[in-house]
Amino acid sequence: MSAVGSLLRKELMEEVFSTRGAVLYLTCSAVLSIFAILLVSNTELSLLDNAQAVYMMCGIVLALGLLIAVVRGSDGFAGERERQTLELLLVAPIKGQEIALAKLGGTLIAWVLVFVLASPFVWAVGSTGQNLGPALIYLFFSGMLLTLILGGVTLALSAKTRTFKATLSIGLTLFLLAASPVILGPSLRQGSIGRLIDWVNPFAHGLNMLDSVVVDSQGISFQLLHFAILTCYAVAAVWSVNVMTRRVEL
Amino acid sequence: MNNGQLVALLIIMPLVLALAVGTCHAEGQSPILVDIQGPAQPLKMGDTPTFKGSVTNVGNHELSGLVVYLSLVSLKPGAEHPVDLEDWSAQKAVRISKLGPGQINTQDWPMRLIEAGRFGVALTVVDPDEKQPVVSNLVIFNIQPKPTLSSSRIIPVAIGEPLFLLLLYGLHWVYTRSRYS
Repeated sequence: MSAVGSLLRKELMEEVFSTRGAVLYLTCSAVLSIFAILLVSNTELSLLDNAQAVYMMCGIVLALGLLIAVVRGSDGFAGERERQTLELLLVAPIKGQEIALAKLGGTLIAWVLVFVLASPFVWAVGSTGQNLGPALIYLFFSGMLLTLILGGVTLALSAKTRTFKATLSIGLTLFLLAASPVILGPSLRQGSIGRLIDWVNPFAHGLNMLDSVVVDSQGISFQLLHFAILTCYAVAAVWSVNVMTRRVEL
Repeated sequence: MNNGQLVALLIIMPLVLALAVGTCHAEGQSPILVDIQGPAQPLKMGDTPTFKGSVTNVGNHELSGLVVYLSLVSLKPGAEHPVDLEDWSAQKAVRISKLGPGQINTQDWPMRLIEAGRFGVALTVVDPDEKQPVVSNLVIFNIQPKPTLSSSRIIPVAIGEPLFLLLLYGLHWVYTRSRYS
């Protein structure tokens, strides 16, 4: 097995079987449970259009996935540095970029786990089956690209910052900026500034794509632009990881 | 007259006036006739009925650049308000590039009913050469509420999944403890 493969395997085992993984995914499942019970127990929310409920659930799943990507990305190099395990990695016959590749792979695995945990909830909420299949497909791919973007940017930052806390602070700030469409709400987003923020914000592209697919039942031709923009951001994020991890210092 | 009735009157009066003006104008001077028809069957939340609109040029000359747009208003007593069509309909307006004398342009206006209550829908046609827009008849319809979320699907998942995860991690913990002790 190659060095990257071995590292990726280590990341996977840590992600699934470590105490951190247990706490993370149990919390993730509990948050989804609380939200689902809130939907069904509230009279007004239980009358929500089914597609709207699926869209809301997908938004929560995306946000959870991104939050985990930020935490994992921040921990990538800065966490290893703080735990004084980075030295061991650097003396191994493996380049900084290969370490970063394995870390990014681990972040993508984390998204897949979140998606696997979330799928039963999306299925449960989408009781009429309206656009349920497309919702799951688009959620998976938009989440994958967004994880690459935010996870990649925070991983690149963690290669240069000294502490996990500092990287996490920047990552959470980026996450809050990215989640601004949820905070602003639909009416404020219709203004020119709101539209501009939507245009440059990858998370908004992910949400708008889900809105278009799940709520408006629009086909793939309407999603191509969103996909293209998300892909450009993802390529830029991976490129930034590549540049920032060429030379990793203790 | 209570406050609710007063608010209802204040909201409905301009709409009625607009309709009256539109109808008079259509009958008197405007070469445009606009009409909208709703579905006949009773409606409930989650339905996706299609409203049929038609714009007729009853004048003698060709019209161009007509804009037809849909308006939706909530008529719940005491809570009357215009409704943002976002999420109700992907098609909110159409442009008719040319409409010759005697020609009829028909449009389908599909809607997704996402809220229960009493609503009214109307079409407005704006002719760039006319100062007065033409408003169609108001189609009033009731949407029956329907719970869309099924607790028999959600509760087992919401309780079952965290417990299943807890069980898995518990078993893993017992296994690793017994292996290394």
